[in-house]
Amino acid sequence: MEQILVNGLYLGAQYALIALGLTLIFSLMNVLNFAHGQMYVFGGFVTYTVVAQLGLPFIVGLLLSAVVLGVMGALIEKFLFRPVIARSKREESTMLLAAGIAFFLDAVILLLFGEKQRGIPKIVDGVFNWDFRIVIPYDRILIFVLAISAIVAFIMYMQYSKTGRAMRALAQDRVAAELMGVDVKYYSMIGFALGAMLAGLVGGLLVSITGINLGMGGPASIKAFMMIMIGGAGVISGAIAGGFILGMMESVGLTLLAVYGDITYLVIFVMLMIFLSIRPQGLMGKPWG
Amino acid sequence: MNTKKWLLTLVFLLIVLVGVPWAINASGRWDFYYTLTSVALLSIASAGVWLTFYIGRINIGQGAYTLIGGYASAILVTQLGVNFWLTLPLAGLACAIISVFIGLPILRLRGVYFAMVTLVLTEVARLTALALPITNGAKGIVSIPLPAELSLFGLTIIPDFATLENPKLAFYIAAVIMMVLCYAALYRIVNSRLGHLCRSLQQNEELSASIGVNTAYLRVIAYSISSFMGGVAGASFVSISQSIYPSTFQVVDSVNFMLNCFLGGLGYVLGPMLGTLMLYFGWDLLFTMGKYQLLIYSSLIILLIVLLPNGILSLPLFNKRGGGPK
Amino acid sequence: MRRRILLKSVAAGLLSLGLFSSAAMAANETLKIGFVGVTSGPAASWGISNQRSMETRAAWINETGGFKIGDKTYDIEIVAFDDQKDPKRAIAGMEKMAQEGIHYVVGPNVDDGAAAVRPVAEQNGIMYFPYAFPQSLYTAPASNAVLGMVANYQSGPAIYKYLKAEKGVKKVAFIAANESDPLSQRDGGVKAAKDLGLEVVSDSVTYQVDTTDFMPVLLPVLRTRPDLLVLSGVSPANAPQLIRSAREAGYEGIISTETAQDAQVLKEGAGKLANGFISVGGASTPEMASDMMREFVERYTKMFGEYNDESNTKVYALEYILETIKADPAGITDVEVFKKTMDTFEVANPYMNGDAKMKYVGTSSFGQKRQVAVPLVVNVYEDGEFKTLFVAEVD
Repeated sequence: MEQILVNGLYLGAQYALIALGLTLIFSLMNVLNFAHGQMYVFGGFVTYTVVAQLGLPFIVGLLLSAVVLGVMGALIEKFLFRPVIARSKREESTMLLAAGIAFFLDAVILLLFGEKQRGIPKIVDGVFNWDFRIVIPYDRILIFVLAISAIVAFIMYMQYSKTGRAMRALAQDRVAAELMGVDVKYYSMIGFALGAMLAGLVGGLLVSITGINLGMGGPASIKAFMMIMIGGAGVISGAIAGGFILGMMESVGLTLLAVYGDITYLVIFVMLMIFLSIRPQGLMGKPWG
Repeated sequence: MNTKKWLLTLVFLLIVLVGVPWAINASGRWDFYYTLTSVALLSIASAGVWLTFYIGRINIGQGAYTLIGGYASAILVTQLGVNFWLTLPLAGLACAIISVFIGLPILRLRGVYFAMVTLVLTEVARLTALALPITNGAKGIVSIPLPAELSLFGLTIIPDFATLENPKLAFYIAAVIMMVLCYAALYRIVNSRLGHLCRSLQQNEELSASIGVNTAYLRVIAYSISSFMGGVAGASFVSISQSIYPSTFQVVDSVNFMLNCFLGGLGYVLGPMLGTLMLYFGWDLLFTMGKYQLLIYSSLIILLIVLLPNGILSLPLFNKRGGGPK
Repeated sequence: MRRRILLKSVAAGLLSLGLFSSAAMAANETLKIGFVGVTSGPAASWGISNQRSMETRAAWINETGGFKIGDKTYDIEIVAFDDQKDPKRAIAGMEKMAQEGIHYVVGPNVDDGAAAVRPVAEQNGIMYFPYAFPQSLYTAPASNAVLGMVANYQSGPAIYKYLKAEKGVKKVAFIAANESDPLSQRDGGVKAAKDLGLEVVSDSVTYQVDTTDFMPVLLPVLRTRPDLLVLSGVSPANAPQLIRSAREAGYEGIISTETAQDAQVLKEGAGKLANGFISVGGASTPEMASDMMREFVERYTKMFGEYNDESNTKVYALEYILETIKADPAGITDVEVFKKTMDTFEVANPYMNGDAKMKYVGTSSFGQKRQVAVPLVVNVYEDGEFKTLFVAEVD
């Protein structure tokens, strides 16, 4: 049982970090970023290139992933999303743009980094083993700690910095924030950049454990969507909760349902649908996000 | 429906039923038959998605219904020996019935929440197809016969496709006729009382509920019509590939159906048709680009949406009379 | 106004791209061979290694003066179509091949695509070489598909038998992704293991291909304490993660698969933990590879920057097609002649040392010769490269 909980926690931390970026972008601009998964993959490949090809330390790779993706996010917001949002009659139209960007990044990743699964050497060797009740490799513990600290840092930033406050105001009420003198354009860009940066960071973190390949983007986006639905779209605490809940669900579900074989995921997905029909706004979301 | 519109429809029919086959014959590009057949069938499924957009719901779950429709037809044809042409409406009906049960709870959701649940629905359909014995699980259903003859009182209405010299042309004609019927129905719905009510739903659901519109009923009706179209499209595809697997329609397809609607324009009945043509045919044409195919394709999509955020049909070219959305 | 001009030029550009067909100006006539498979998305490495093997070989042939068939010499041109692992696109791809006048196509890479293209291939007289295992594709009345590799129901028994005899394996566990191909392969594997008298302790655990953490997936399997863990139909992307998670969870038995893998990917993804991992390869291990194979690897690496070990099995399809046409030049446009030639075709295998032969097999599995005889080389991974464990023949 302990082992299942530990697995769930580890999985939850990485999921929560992916969901955070997605929910931030959604709360600020009402954009469902289909390209989030591809950004995560891109981040992973940046770290891979820096660490495995150039032989620089892991932390440099992580930072560079965050920076590259942050810049990419800012540019995407400024030159693509902003003009489209300004001129489209229905804001859902941004979904096509996001999907186009997802395809585009897929193509770029294939051309730049190739088709193979990539990974970097283990950062720390060895496995923590508590009497075979909890078995967890040290590098997973490290990544877990890093992920949690990133989440905490992000919450602190949103809570206490001027930028964070401005973004929260923006998320609550765009018009009111604008009237109060918040530079909406500027903070939307910063928000998008921050969201993309988080995606890049997770990619960088996970490349050391699970590795990365160009096909992981789409499914990662969909999983992240599910997490923010569970927690409530556009709510930061919801994304974190959603991430941990999905992590736990998978860990517990896989163990309990293993005997029934092929239907494990079917059950998980059906449960999710039932949950959402009963509680349409997720755990802590605003109704009708 | 004024004379001008009848005339335009007639011209369109002439182009697709006579013009296109002639052009293909003249140019020798026989492969375009399948491409255009696909476009016609996929645009039927997209039309369904468009209808759910019309009641203000983002539907990313049409792939589930195309898959269900495909399996319904395949099972009826292979196990019960039902004529393929009869399975078409039956497949649609099966989807419509299933969609009522799924739609009742989930149609209460709005915005991204509805979108996400439907996205999960596609995966649920795939996993169900993998797990059920009747769908033959992972091994799929293969070697499905071509559509058989359909006759009424000894009179052949549709010939047996297996005896035809050119089944490609036959599939194309059948698909195009179905597409035209589908869009005629869509046009009829949009311009009927039902359509007006749907539009009121799209604009403000609370308001229309407060003036006595039975919103829940309306939503389910629209959603089941949408799923019917998905089922018919799925069933037709299976008759061409003569096989179906759980992965025949997947999440990607659901997303594509939605993108077709966006690209064509959400405010126009013909939007999904044009969107499907552009997206599907575009990919096909770029095939000569080799490894840069996806790069160019995605760049063009981005360019299009940045230039025309309200869809291709929002171009002034198509709106000379300043009519705006129909 | 400017926007409209831009749009028009985009449309014009699109049109001209579509209608433009490359005109190769060469002294030799051109023989086009098709490829329809997946070269983008999660399974891209299957198709890309396929396509690149073909392109490498074609460039090599053209560079050395072309391929002689009958009294004519041909340059080989590879026409590739990305089906995005979508059976509907695969049909479109096959139609394209028919349009280009191509009669020999390599691919598709997966079960659903291979089944979907069958009607088109049969209507247009195209022989195709799928990398998919369903027996219905190769058994009469189907006759246009030729299995391009060793099927899992052929390699599986060989591997299990070896491990049972040599390593004392008694209990086997299977794990597969919840998709058609891996699940079918798992069912085949389970049957083979039972037939050999092995005890199957777990065969129901599946995973989503996009899983990022395999610990929770593997724990219920490992709790059954198998001696052998079979990763049925595992994709090269998932293999290292599964191996690593299993080892880190304390599993000490043998891990094997019946699909081709890439040593570099295993090295990066699992490092030392992948040592002892058993997979099926072609003829690239140093003991087996002929000079020609070595040159192929060299040329591939030069052309694309990095070799992919999956190509060890994928180098063969094109070679088979060309050599069989050569055996009876009428086959160049007439697949019926080609089919007839297949029954008696036999030449030396240029990629392997020793007296290995290239010929068509499959009579015992399909009732007709609809499979290329690729040597069944079972590899074991050791510190960044594959070593030959044993070699077997498929009849």
